[in-house]
Amino acid sequence: MITMSHYLVFSALLFCISVAGIFINRKNILLLLMSIELMLLAVNTNFIVFSHYSNDITGQVFVFFILAVAAAESAIGLAIIVSLFRIRNSLEINLINNLKG
Amino acid sequence: MDIITILFYLVTSVIILSSMSLVILNNTVHAALLLVLIFFNSAILWLMLKAEFLAIVLVLVYVGAVLVLFLFVIMLLDIPIKKNISQKLYLLFSVTISIIMFAELYMVIFYHDFVASVPTSANSALEFNNTYEIGLSLFTNYIFSFEITAFILLVAIIAAIAINMTGRQRSLRQDPGKQILENKKSRLKIIKDEDL
Repeated sequence: MITMSHYLVFSALLFCISVAGIFINRKNILLLLMSIELMLLAVNTNFIVFSHYSNDITGQVFVFFILAVAAAESAIGLAIIVSLFRIRNSLEINLINNLKG
Repeated sequence: MDIITILFYLVTSVIILSSMSLVILNNTVHAALLLVLIFFNSAILWLMLKAEFLAIVLVLVYVGAVLVLFLFVIMLLDIPIKKNISQKLYLLFSVTISIIMFAELYMVIFYHDFVASVPTSANSALEFNNTYEIGLSLFTNYIFSFEITAFILLVAIIAAIAINMTGRQRSLRQDPGKQILENKKSRLKIIKDEDL
């Protein structure tokens, strides 16, 4: 029998793997964006699990909004990546230090 | 073990293994294809949780649009694959942090006992329509948020086009600003003929 805790542990595991991915793939900004997509997926799964088990549709409406905003975010992120690659001919994040942050 | 349990373990193990290989492999094309696999399996998981509308939206929007966009950018840019130098420190750091985070989340999940605090009355009525319920909620209670979402998508379209707009002139049309800024000196050069 699959309980709510199974789903919650699964999405926690997915979230932790994608956090590790952000640390490991510091050189490649595309893989960084993909890790962020994975984190959003884990969060959405959490929302749907709670929505299912508490019999409330609000969680699924929220997932809908998150999907729309994430699509907009990845579109703008990819546009920035394309124009960055056109200027600098590389995607290494440690070379992007114009602001000296 | 019934069929639902077997399906759950199959789907989650596929998702976890492919996300681990996505993180480790450091190859963008393979990563995008693995992300397709992950999203399809998540759609199966969401179908098991009776969120049919969102499962279909995940496949259509994410696999159909966002990941195709990712693949487009990867193919367009042709990024050279490099081996990461000095990765060992980052690997140790990341594994430590993610293990600590997972332990904390695990403790929260199992010591808080969400199952008791949430009323578990799963709606199993035959006439329950997931898409209908989401639409009803979206167009009554959350209509303002829905409009804001549409506006965010509009802003994303305009921003994505405006970022990549190059200044190169493609046609021979007139530019009124340049025409106004022209003056007599920039068009006409008077050379005095001193010999005559």
